[in-house]
Amino acid sequence: MRCHRCRGPANVEIRRSQTAYCAHCYPDWFRAQVQERINHERMFRRDQRILVAVSGGKDSLGLWHTLTRLGYQADGLYIRLGIADYSRRSQEKSEAFSAKFGLTLHQVDLELDHGFVVPDLLDTRSGKPCAACGTVKRYHFNKVAADLGYEVVATGHNLDDEAATMFGNVMHWNIDYLGRQGPVLESTHPGLVRKVKPLYRLSERETAAYAIIERIDYIVEECPMAGGAKSLAYKGVLNALEEEQPGAKYRFLVGFLKEGRATIRTGGFDQAADLRECVRCGQPTTAEVCAYCRMADRGRKKATSKDAKYGRRRAVAGTTEGLSADRL
Amino acid sequence: MRVTILPDRQVKEVHAQTVGDLLKALGLLRDAHLVVRGDDILTSDVRLAEGDELEVWPVISGGS
Repeated sequence: MRCHRCRGPANVEIRRSQTAYCAHCYPDWFRAQVQERINHERMFRRDQRILVAVSGGKDSLGLWHTLTRLGYQADGLYIRLGIADYSRRSQEKSEAFSAKFGLTLHQVDLELDHGFVVPDLLDTRSGKPCAACGTVKRYHFNKVAADLGYEVVATGHNLDDEAATMFGNVMHWNIDYLGRQGPVLESTHPGLVRKVKPLYRLSERETAAYAIIERIDYIVEECPMAGGAKSLAYKGVLNALEEEQPGAKYRFLVGFLKEGRATIRTGGFDQAADLRECVRCGQPTTAEVCAYCRMADRGRKKATSKDAKYGRRRAVAGTTEGLSADRL
Repeated sequence: MRVTILPDRQVKEVHAQTVGDLLKALGLLRDAHLVVRGDDILTSDVRLAEGDELEVWPVISGGS
């Protein structure tokens, strides 16, 4: 196989477009794809400050690297989720990346600042904390961005993530979620920061190839709590289809965004009109007390009962409002 | 050839003519993995030699 650009021996094959690139040309192709999406979707400008949601994985570190190389003002936020060794290693990868490139990395520590960790949030039905972990991350990315004056939060969601989410929403006919799925989530409240997904048309394989070629040291292993998660099952189904029909994931997602999304009626749910401030933390919510505060209460209760059972003492029993200034 | 499968670094001896054949022999999907020799990512048509030392990198992540 030959590089589509320089005709030298290729390294990365893009089966959906029947092209391939060598290790020298591939990063330029990848960054050009990201830049084209940023421009086309009007995600952000070079005079705006961007907060990148960083996990230590290939997508978030690859996105941070790409935005920096494209000349954007991008800082990172890492949330210490408290998932044992996995969190420690992903924190090390994130800190090493920010140090190597001289970038600012903010951090939130769930245990020290809020008194619980993600393993305290196991769902009683699924036995997994993934949905709650998503709530934790969305809450803190928004809160830190709003508190520190960032105009946009950028996440590393890729084509596979977005196609799997859409597949799940179709499987369960979550019409409201389908109607809101897209690469840009506009701010509908002064306390809600705009969210964008610059990698949404690039596959996981393509972001991994970018990270390897650019020698980004990322955490390769999967989150130990995600085994058996529905999103991984959906990705497996879609990748099996992709094996036989290259481009299936891309057509499924991009076709929907172009042709299907506009036809969806979301049942009259008007988020802008329904939003108010949480009486506990002040973050935008449709309820009196936001989902995060209610969930954090459950997490702290679980953490306290575990501590009593195992005779442990925590360094700080935080509150929802208590972000530590030294870590920000 | 000797194949190391990440992230657990499980080592397997596999006989395959090309990278595509190798993934097939291991029962792995092309869109969910990258095959690396030394510092180079390999496309599926690359021919392999018996003495090759290869790494297979999974690319799937996430939960919810």
